[in-house]
Amino acid sequence: MRATTARWIALAVITGAGLTACSTDDGGKKDTGGSDEKPVVVDITFKDGDVTPSGDRVDVSPGQPIDLKVTADEPGEIHVHSDPEHEFEYDAGTTDLPEFQIDRPGIVVVESHTLDKVIVQLEVK
Amino acid sequence: MTPGVIEAHGIGGQADLPISLGLAISGAVAALVVSFTVLVVAWRTPRYATGLEAATDPGSGEVVESPHRRPTPVTFGLVALRLVGMIGFLYAAFTAVFGQNQLTNPFFGVVYVWLWVGVMFASLLFGPVYRAISPVRTINAALARISGGDPELGVRDYPVRLGYWPAAVGLYAFVWMELVDKTPTDLGTVRLWCAIYVAVMLIGGAVFGSRFYEHADPFEVFSSLVGSLSVLGRDPEGRFIFRSPLAGVAQIPSKPGLVGVVAVLFGSTAFDSFRESTFWIGRIQAASITGFTINNFGLLAFVLTAGLIFALGSMCAGIALHADRRPWRWVRLEPLAHPRSELPRRLAHSIVPIVAAYVIAHYLTLFIDVGTQTLARASDPLGKGWDILGTASLQPTYWFSYHPSLLATIKVGAVVVGHVAAAVVAHDRAIALLPRRHQITGQLPLLAAMVAFTAGGLYLLFSA
Repeated sequence: MRATTARWIALAVITGAGLTACSTDDGGKKDTGGSDEKPVVVDITFKDGDVTPSGDRVDVSPGQPIDLKVTADEPGEIHVHSDPEHEFEYDAGTTDLPEFQIDRPGIVVVESHTLDKVIVQLEVK
Repeated sequence: MTPGVIEAHGIGGQADLPISLGLAISGAVAALVVSFTVLVVAWRTPRYATGLEAATDPGSGEVVESPHRRPTPVTFGLVALRLVGMIGFLYAAFTAVFGQNQLTNPFFGVVYVWLWVGVMFASLLFGPVYRAISPVRTINAALARISGGDPELGVRDYPVRLGYWPAAVGLYAFVWMELVDKTPTDLGTVRLWCAIYVAVMLIGGAVFGSRFYEHADPFEVFSSLVGSLSVLGRDPEGRFIFRSPLAGVAQIPSKPGLVGVVAVLFGSTAFDSFRESTFWIGRIQAASITGFTINNFGLLAFVLTAGLIFALGSMCAGIALHADRRPWRWVRLEPLAHPRSELPRRLAHSIVPIVAAYVIAHYLTLFIDVGTQTLARASDPLGKGWDILGTASLQPTYWFSYHPSLLATIKVGAVVVGHVAAAVVAHDRAIALLPRRHQITGQLPLLAAMVAFTAGGLYLLFSA
């Protein structure tokens, strides 16, 4: 009976080791982080109480500058749920919001608080 | 708007990166392989509690399904734990009443992270922690002492038929507030929820005695289920012993409503992942009905689907397939010693390791990062620049954010280990319940349900 338990533990360990071996993603890759990278530009359009894009994922790297370009028919507010958070106000017409960057990898939601809708999710990696 | 006010997606700013496709697939394949290995090589006679042992009530000597537990002797440690729970409770109540309606109020972190996640992690390590610290148990005991009664006994016996159903309802109410309600981080909302919780618990305790909490307190039931996976257990005399987590899980009483509880726990955590996916956000924002309505439907659908898949999988246990020339004889229901409708709850404990694993995968970084943040905020409960605990300057390090591969591996590892435990526990119970000649094939539908849960969980970790 003891032997059976040991076998189970061995099986779990082997499975775990196999999984670790299988994970091939960005292990020790350190980001140099820097403003020399080309900024990511996200075009955002507000029209008739709707926003495009609507919840899309946008890939950015840590430290890469992010430009939000807003074209809106009404003034409003955009909220970037990073730590620390960013909040931007915009007027009707076209507005280039101040450039910002996110240093910590993860998913950051960019929301319109005026419409209570998710505009994009920034996938920082 | 001032910083840190109400967010549409509740507590915790930045979310984890999704796990890689390769990792998700290797996890799912491992789960599948392990499941069948368990079937083929595992033991053939039950090694753990089967839930079928005749238990006698110490009072009447009658055979009962769940015996009254011997009251735990009052020790210094127990009193200390009760004190910790009571201080936490009073502190939370203080921040709830006098604190600001902002996310910087530690109340939100205390409820959503320390209580909902932290207590469960602690239970995983040390056993049913909430039962030991439960402030509602303490208040109930104090009230009973003042009125000269016995806290264990109420005016009426707790109805056996109710089982864990009240806890399932309570848990659903909590996840509803967290995931569906429009203002989950509004002070008034959470305060109201907690006030109703305390009121229901105190009334229930007065009517049914403290057995009520074992069945109806959502936090205690969650904590006790997860705590069954702890290596720390108690022997029948109440002394601490080391035991196998699998043996602990097998001792979960198969009461009515157990399926409901595990369905709410698994379904809601899955929905929490799913609602962050681009698919769901895109759908919800393009729809003509409100997001509130759709989220209501989504949460309910996830919970019901989890419950139905499991119920179906376990009810189908013991269906025998025959190679026969006549097709109508291919499938036959094997006669069982117990009603088929009891199978889901007699097997439902086996989902607990999957639930616990998924809770770890889903909440690990939230617990570490927002848990630390809450400790910092707890030092300044009213937002007046105080530092009463000396922790105000604590900053989460977000260590796991910078080590995404390690984090992803831990998550998938937890899910696979949970699945292995679930498959072994289910196998052990199935051989006790199923007729001997169909012990192996009879488990296939249940195994399929488990693989579906694990693969579904991994898929959500990958896509959200």
